[in-house]
Amino acid sequence: MTFKLPPGLALQKVDEKIMTLNVGPQHPGSGHMRLIVQIDGDYIVACDPDPGYVHRGEEKMAEYRNYILNIPHLERPVIHDSCNVLYPYVLGSEEILGIEVPERAKYVRVIASELNRCIYIMYWLAIYGIFLGHSTMFMWPAGDRELLIDLMEKMTGARVTHAHFVPGGVRNDLPPNFEDVCLRQVNYFEKRIKEYAAIFYDNPILIARTRDTGVLSRQDAIRYGTTGSVLRASGVDYDLRIKEPYDVYEELDVHTNVMKEGDSYARSKIPWLDMLESCNIIRQALQKMPKSGSVRTKLKPNPKGKGLDSVYKRVESGRGSLGCYIVSDGKVEPYRVKLSVPSFRNLIALPNLLRGEKLGNMPSVYWSLNYWPVEADR
Amino acid sequence: MGTATGIIRALNSGIKHIAMKRFTLRYPEEKLKFVGDGYQFDPSTGVGIAGLKGRHMLFHDHCTGCQLCSIACEGVAEAIAMVKVPEEQKQNKKSIMPQIDYGKCVFCGLCVDACPFYALYMTNDYELSSFSKEGLIYTPAQLQVKPYVAQDSEIQISDRGATHG
Repeated sequence: MTFKLPPGLALQKVDEKIMTLNVGPQHPGSGHMRLIVQIDGDYIVACDPDPGYVHRGEEKMAEYRNYILNIPHLERPVIHDSCNVLYPYVLGSEEILGIEVPERAKYVRVIASELNRCIYIMYWLAIYGIFLGHSTMFMWPAGDRELLIDLMEKMTGARVTHAHFVPGGVRNDLPPNFEDVCLRQVNYFEKRIKEYAAIFYDNPILIARTRDTGVLSRQDAIRYGTTGSVLRASGVDYDLRIKEPYDVYEELDVHTNVMKEGDSYARSKIPWLDMLESCNIIRQALQKMPKSGSVRTKLKPNPKGKGLDSVYKRVESGRGSLGCYIVSDGKVEPYRVKLSVPSFRNLIALPNLLRGEKLGNMPSVYWSLNYWPVEADR
Repeated sequence: MGTATGIIRALNSGIKHIAMKRFTLRYPEEKLKFVGDGYQFDPSTGVGIAGLKGRHMLFHDHCTGCQLCSIACEGVAEAIAMVKVPEEQKQNKKSIMPQIDYGKCVFCGLCVDACPFYALYMTNDYELSSFSKEGLIYTPAQLQVKPYVAQDSEIQISDRGATHG
């Protein structure tokens, strides 16, 4: 009599030299995900990422709620970047519902989106610092992030998960005197993040740990379909704010930062350069924004699509291109909402980057991919 | 740049912070100041008024018991339940009003957007912790009370760094 064991319990042939190591699933960094790493001594032979521990069923949930009530739960995947996560969904549902957006609302959205990008990158940078044992780099970004969180709180009424964007604009106008406060705090924020160069990016200890580790070549970066900072760190100049401008990005002067090395150092520096660029965009948007006017088109209760219709919209989030595919069948609820998230696409490159690296370099390579576990699992 | 110079520059960058002011907020002695009196919504224009999305405030003389806030919350958090109130209002024939469970509420404010009668607003009160689950459920009578808030700390920026003053 023979038992057939389920795959997880089946005995594996053990190699004397190769050891299998489970990193996670309890928080290897932030959010639950597991890396199954096979090591030979100190060197990684193979790595198998195992996401899926924080699957929340966001896409299925979206099929049971109308276009407005989908907003609070669809921004949950990345609470620090909640405006950008929601952005493609809002752009898509505007097209399906046939709503025009006032000009001022577009500028408010761009400002909120850029502030949120900085907030996300600061959080990511804080964790990158603590991954490399640099406690100061954990404390400084976590503290300076407060300047921008304070702005978002004044603007939207919540420190995280703002629920601010709606089909047809934004939910409330800017508070009085916001432009001055925003300009003052963004200027100070820019001055602060420039100080990170001396302590972190020019620090020989950081350079020794991240330079030439996990090198992703230009061809591989394109072949694996990576996006955002990972793609730009490998020498591909691709930013959706320039290539497919949405809202008012066409009227703003946006530059991208590209580095050719493709190693962990380049991947950690590109988001920091992006933050400096975001500060420029915020200043431009504050200058060009119409000083008064409506910020929201009034919606009918329970808005519907016109019939069988589908739309795909994507935006540049803090991690890369984030797409949302919405299918409508003319009912109050969307028929299908599919999120195409950058975290999952960047994770595909991880096994190839870690092969041949030392185990001690694993945290720096893993977190430099700008990966957010909850977003990858949706 | 040499290794030694780089390390000295990094240390110097940290040492400069001895002369900088403390940025952290001494909660609960100091509390952050918010704009306005909380998030409000104007149904005639369809645009909200900026403010913190904190604990709700219910105006009994405006509420008609139409349940729109409860219906809006069904898709989000299921935090609002309509309950009987003893008092009789002229506009509220059924005498039902929302009761909010802050153990479930996510403070998105979509219930405020749903109210067409200016009856539900949000306030600057965010200190809602309680020792029991029952303490987090706010009845219509509790929601009627305007909270006392003493919040005056704002971010100040000077040459010696930012502070909460």
